[in-house]
Order: sequence, then C-alpha cells, then structure tokens
Amino acid sequence: MKKHILGFLLLGVMIAPASGQASVLDIQSVTSEKGIAAWLVEDKTVPVLSLQFAFLGAGAINDPDGKQGVSQLLSNTLDEGAGDFDAKEFQEALNDNSISLSFSSSRDNFSGSLKTLNKYQDTAFELLSMALSSPRFEDEAIERMKQANMARIRSNMSDPEWLAARLSNTVLFENHAYARNSGGTLSSLPKITAQDLEEKRSKQFAKDNLIVAVSGNITAEDLKIYLDQVFANLPETAELKTLEQVPQPEGSQIVQHKLPVPQTVVEIAYPGLSRMDEDYFAAEVMNYIFGGAGFGSRLTETVREQNGLTYGIYSGMQDMKYADLYSIGTSTRSEKVAEVLNLIEKETMKIKSTKVTAKELQDAKSYLLGSVPLSLTSTDKIASVMLSFQSRNLPEDYLDIREHEIKKVTPDDIKRAANRILQNDKKTILLVGAAIEQDNQSEAIRYIETLPDIE
Amino acid sequence: MSKKIISRSVLNWMTTTCMMIGGVTVTPPDAHAKIYIEPEKTDNQLEEKVFGAQTATLENGLQIVVIENSRAPVLTHMIWYQVGSADEPRGDGVSGAAHFLEHLMFKGSKALSPGEFSKLIRSIGGNDNAFTSWDYTAYFQSIPSQYLRAVMALEADRMMNLSILDKDIESEREVIIEERRMRTDNDPKALFMEQLRSAMFQNSPYAEPIIGWRDEMPKLERQDVLSYYQTWYSPSNAILVVSGDVKFEDAVKWAKETYGKVPARSVPIHTRSTVPDRTADLRLTMSDDAVRQPMLMKGWVVPSFAEDKRAYIGFEVLTEALSGGAATRLYQTLVVEKKKAVSISLSYDGDARGQGSLWLYAMPTPDTTMEELEKEIEILFREIVGNGVTQDAVEKAKTRLIDQAMFARDSVAGPAMVIGQALAVGATLDDIEYWPRDVEKITREEVQTLFDIYLNPVTPKRLPVTGLLLPKESKEK
Repeated sequence: MKKHILGFLLLGVMIAPASGQASVLDIQSVTSEKGIAAWLVEDKTVPVLSLQFAFLGAGAINDPDGKQGVSQLLSNTLDEGAGDFDAKEFQEALNDNSISLSFSSSRDNFSGSLKTLNKYQDTAFELLSMALSSPRFEDEAIERMKQANMARIRSNMSDPEWLAARLSNTVLFENHAYARNSGGTLSSLPKITAQDLEEKRSKQFAKDNLIVAVSGNITAEDLKIYLDQVFANLPETAELKTLEQVPQPEGSQIVQHKLPVPQTVVEIAYPGLSRMDEDYFAAEVMNYIFGGAGFGSRLTETVREQNGLTYGIYSGMQDMKYADLYSIGTSTRSEKVAEVLNLIEKETMKIKSTKVTAKELQDAKSYLLGSVPLSLTSTDKIASVMLSFQSRNLPEDYLDIREHEIKKVTPDDIKRAANRILQNDKKTILLVGAAIEQDNQSEAIRYIETLPDIE
Repeated sequence: MSKKIISRSVLNWMTTTCMMIGGVTVTPPDAHAKIYIEPEKTDNQLEEKVFGAQTATLENGLQIVVIENSRAPVLTHMIWYQVGSADEPRGDGVSGAAHFLEHLMFKGSKALSPGEFSKLIRSIGGNDNAFTSWDYTAYFQSIPSQYLRAVMALEADRMMNLSILDKDIESEREVIIEERRMRTDNDPKALFMEQLRSAMFQNSPYAEPIIGWRDEMPKLERQDVLSYYQTWYSPSNAILVVSGDVKFEDAVKWAKETYGKVPARSVPIHTRSTVPDRTADLRLTMSDDAVRQPMLMKGWVVPSFAEDKRAYIGFEVLTEALSGGAATRLYQTLVVEKKKAVSISLSYDGDARGQGSLWLYAMPTPDTTMEELEKEIEILFREIVGNGVTQDAVEKAKTRLIDQAMFARDSVAGPAMVIGQALAVGATLDDIEYWPRDVEKITREEVQTLFDIYLNPVTPKRLPVTGLLLPKESKEK
C-alpha cells in the first residue's frame, strides 16, 4: 500500500490545483438510454480507456456502528469472486486481460476505478458489472481480506505518520463519525460478516448517488451501452443517513501521542473554508504562498531553506462533506519541535498582518492557473479530476470559473482569508514523537496514551 | 521494498506505467476454465516501437531523446546523469555525497540565486524535483511546453556553474539528516532493510544506503560534493529526455543552443565491485518494540540488465509469472490455499550497472510461526524447481508485460522516466522500443532455468540473505 508523507495533507493539496484552461478539458455530458449520466473526455490518441465512479455518501460514515471497516472490506472483496467466477477465476480474468480494477472507500464516498486497453474493454465492463451486481462474498475471501487488513494495521502501528493521522482523527473529529478509522480496527474487522457487506452493497449503491467520469478512446455512443450494462440495474435510491457538520473547535489545544522516535510528526489544524465560500479562491492563493507551493512557499523558505529544520513542510485545504480543514504538516527532530512551532507561528502572524507582495501574488496565480494541464496528462488523471468536480457538485466549466475568480484575487482578499482561517482560538497542534521541552508561556500539552480505533 | 530512489521531496507522479522498471503489478496464473477468448497478440504489437522516440547526440557527448506527444500543451524535461551513490569514493569516512549534491544543485549557480530554480519553475506553472539512486541521478521539470528552451538554459547552467554558499551547505546538511530520520531512522522496517541490504551486498557499493550512513552524513563537506560534481557531471555522462508537446527538431536545436555550450569533459570508468560467493548462511533478526507485524524477507544477488540482458527479461517474466498479482502461484499457494501468509511477493531489481537482486517479502498469518512460513516457502520452491514453472503462467506473464507497454504512452512524464532510467543503466533505445518483441522471445525453459539456478532452495548459485523482523519477545507472550 502506498505511503505518503503527510498523506492526508497531500490529498487536499492534490485536489485543489485542478484549474484554468477549460479548453484543455473538453467535457461531453453523456446520458444513456436508461438514464445513467457520465462525463466523458474523448481521446483517440491512446488505445486506453479509464472509467472512475463513486457512490456519494456510501463511504465509511455509512458503515454500521461498531463495525468500522465495512466499506474498506467491501472494497477488498468485490473483486474476490462474482457471478460465475470464484475468487481465483475473477482475478485471473482481470490479470489475463491486463485490466486494472480497484475499489476504495473514503470517509464520505465509495469509489471504483477501471483502466483497460480498448481490445479488452468488453471483458472489463463485464467484470465491473459482475463485481457490482453479483459479488459472491465467500467466507474464504472475506477472512483472507480481514487478515490482510489486520496485518496492514499492525504493520502501520510502527509508522509515526500513520499514528499521527489516527491522532488527528480522534482529536479533530471527536464524537463525529469522521473520527472512526475508515480502514477498520483490530477488533472491529473480525465482527464483519458477508451479510454486512451485502447489506451495504445492496442499499448504498444506487443511481441517485452515482457519479461517473470517463476518459480515453471511446465514443459517447459506445459508452452509453456500457453504462447501461454496468449501472442500469442499480436501485433508484440509496438508503443513506446524513450527518451533522463537524462542530468548530471550542478553543485551541496541543495534543501529543508520545512515541520513542528521533523525529516528531507535527500537524497544525484549523477549520477551513467551504468551496462555496466567497473567500475560497482567495484562500487557495493564500495557501499556495503560505505553504502549499512546497519549494518557494514561505513555510518551506523559513523552516527548511533558511534553518534546515525539516525535510518537508506543507499546508493544504481539505474539503469533505461534513468538515473543511486547513492544516500544516511537517516533521523535525524532537528537540527542535518548539523552535519549528515558533517559526510557523511567526509566519502565521505575518500572513495575517501584512499584505503579500505583488510578485508573490503574480507567481501564485501563474502557478495555480498555468499548472492545470499538468494534472490532465493521462486518461486516469483526467477521469479523476472530473470525478472530483462531480463529487463536489461543481459544473463542467468549473475550470473557467476558477480561472476567472483566481485572477480577481487581491492582496487584501488574501489577508482577509488568512485571518478567517488562521484563528488562534481554533488552532489544534498535534504531535507524535518524543516528549518535548516547553517554555512557561506555552499551553499545557494534553497527552493521549492509547490512540483509539486501532486495536 | 528496497528504497531504490530517494528524492529531494515527495514524488507523487511516479505511479505511471513503468514496464522496464520492473515495478508493475498484476499478472496471470495457471489455466482454469475461461470463458473469454484472449485477443491474439498481433505482429503489430510486437514489431511496433513502444514510444517512437527519436534521438541525437551533441558534440559534447550529450545524448538527446525526444518522445513527441501533443495531447496536452505540456512536457516533461529530464536530465539523467549516469552516476549515483555507488560511484562515491569508498572508505573515506563519509557517505551520501551523490544525494547531498542533488539537494545542493538547487542552491544556486552563475545565473540563479539559492532556491531560485524551483521558484522560477513554479512561476511558469511547472513542477520540478530530482532523485538519486545507486546508479543514476535525475532532475526533472514538468512545464507548459512554451518554456522548454528557457528550462534547458537553466539546467545547462547548473550543469557547469554550480555555486554554493557555505551557509547553504550547513543548513541543507541538516535537511538531508532530517530526510534520513523521516525515511529510515523513524521506521524499524526501513532500518532493517538497510541492514539486510548491507549484509547481502557485501563488498558491493550497493551495500551503502543512498542517503548515507547516519554517522557519516554529518561529516559531508563541500569538497566531497564538489569533487563528485566536477568528476561526474559532464554532458558526455548525461542523457536529456524530453517527453510531450514538442517537435524533435526544435528540441535538438534548443539543446544545441543551451546544453551545447557546456564543455565536453571525459569521466572515469564506473567500477562496481561484486559480491563474493558466500558459503556461510546469512540470517539477520531484528526485534523491535514498535513492531507488531512480523515480516520475512529474502534477498538473492542475480544478474542485472547490464550483466545479462536476456536474463533480465527472463527475470521480469519469472517474477510476473510467479508473483504478478493475486491469481499467481505464490499468493495462491501460501495465502489462499495453505493460509500460512497474509501477503507474499517476489520482485526483481535489475536496473543496475552492477549486480541485480531478487527480493521476497512475506507476512505470516497470526497462527503461523516464522519457521513454518519459511518452511512452506521452501516446499513451494522445491516444487517449482525442475519443471514447476508452467507454460501457461509464462505465456500470460509475457502477454501482461507486453500489454503494459501499450499503457505506457498514456502519460507524459512516464515515458521520460522509463527511457531515462533504462538508458542510464546501459540499455539502448532499441532495447526499450522493442521490449515487447524481446519479451515474446523468452521461453518457459529459460525462465525455468533461471529459477533453478538462482532460486533453487537446495543448491542456489548464491545463498540468499534471510531477514526476520519481529516484535519484542515480551510482547509476543
């Protein structure tokens, strides 16, 4: 499984930069005979086809209480036997035809991805159709996937970044369903049954929460036939519960999970701005200048380039259905944690109190608009960008809107966005690493000895 | 996995198809009743060039490779130096100079002040980064295509005009030490792999971590880095790869105008000392408080591409046939049928100027001891020796490897990565372009022979190194 530094931060960072130059993204809206809608970007230059889809709201938040990990396990077992094929036969059919089919689940959504050469596309769609409509959920496969997930969890338990993600879940989302571990826990996974998986599949996969994005060498006419083959038999309506928004924090705090490692993982989180907020685009530009750019950002310049205190420092916005987050992530040797926190605080004060320079603004806009085509260089990247728009209910010409709005952002807008986001009394500092020295004025650290939702 | 590449910051684009890199997933197994008729491999697929790359060489020795692809107005520009951490001087008390230099290449030149390189790239809407391996070092920028000439000028400038301030050497040394803490010192698995590799590659430069040993990194000084730079960073030791929205003629013209100004300079011959035949069984065990999931690793020294091209392709087919996904032999036997492992994989790393390696990783199920797991793997390997590699598995593995080449063009950065890496370790462009044809030629017997020579558990050509990563005893009880 892939491991990213600051995995969840990168997620936010990677979603954000889709932008500008809609001419690059020539989206056709396709609706099949039986009413299945999809966005399509046709590309005849490659013998390849990528399809991505999601069932909105069918992610881990809609797993039954006490059974964290149902979505995760469902994503692992849909391709472990379906229709006439047992697990091995199904995997063989994928492998023999070089078809990449995978499912995944986030907190909010359940999604799937199919990538195939055109010459195998009939088989690819048939397998996808079987996986969604008639998975077998045989005991052997379920047990095997439980074991694999438990091994993954035990293996991650020596990874400070993974532990930091667990800590931030617990602290930032407290009693909300977002606090759960989407991947399941060592005690919840064994409780999951075939019936739980089937219940979720049959009730939460439906036409009214389905979004589909396709890119590659396929015409709208052909796509319509496949869409009906795969999705037309889904129920009309998904049975999903909706949740309350995650409440704003009541005050600032600093929380640590102590771990005897040489380097401490640091995260600073604030509530973010919704994508519908009028300052959202100003916040996007602000974030780029502050920490989103990586090299060249103020945080990287100060903490890494000038002081050599870290290998990486990033900031990013993360928009989820029930919460918006803004966070800064880095790591440093444990004896330097206080110094790094001080430097970040100084930069935070600065971006809130002083306007960014004209050059900073110009460079940020150039990057945020100019780099859009870089995220559209393969069929799966294009499908993924479209799916991210659909999942947020953004229009097909979102890139044009974004370009227009980003161009308008002024230094005053950025200062205002910084002040709205980086509020001292809503700041949460999260640390995973060895105990640190603090000066007297510092807020007292709250320690969490045992992280919940792992064992 | 063995950390083959370490980079200046997190790479997130390298999930593109990499058929020569050996880093692919999924593959086919033994026959079962199948309802699908496999499309035939057409002659077209076997004889057509994978990338249709064009090449030229400048007078100063710089090789240029261009892969035209105009689907988006962007391109990836990469410069590959055919030198890596394995070329650092040995036994001088410091390590990690190659990687430290990679970082310092962003710290200023004649034309640019420290840090300005990346800022300029960002300001044109581009991304840049770099990475270092044992045998090569690469710098790349993904940019809107109209800036290609400008970026070539910048890269050519730092090829010959590196200029670093003392204070930047001091602070950047702290950065790479933090990088090591993040990648290795904070992670018991990575620490163990480092030691396992070091034991296996006895007497080879591949025994040393690319980033450097913890105690030797603080001793890296300006002279270590500069002497490496002056010795190896020459146009004749570099390959320029441009993939994306550009015409070959334009790329060559601009390269002449920019890189053409870098003086020709000869570089020393690369030496790669080899691992002596070892008769002692080598087993490493590490117990750590933080470890909750035991893990078994085995490594074998085997031929690389540079040593034996045909064997390289054979090993790619072998690992694909036995461990190319959930339907193949290792997973089916150990995980599905016998329930002794929760995961198992066999992978090949043959993109090396020196010797290559095969790596097996397995995690036992909770009620399986490490002894049992090792025993079961040995039983399976004994079954495969002689005649156990099936025709069906080999043919399917070949089909899959050939199909992967077709996915390779669905990317802009991917082809630059694949071609650069292969050329950097001594492949020719034809080796890459006709990869499908060469894969098709591999026979079951060849694959079987490779298995019997190198993976035979009774009399392997070279004894493997075996590593057991375990929880602390007290916790197990």
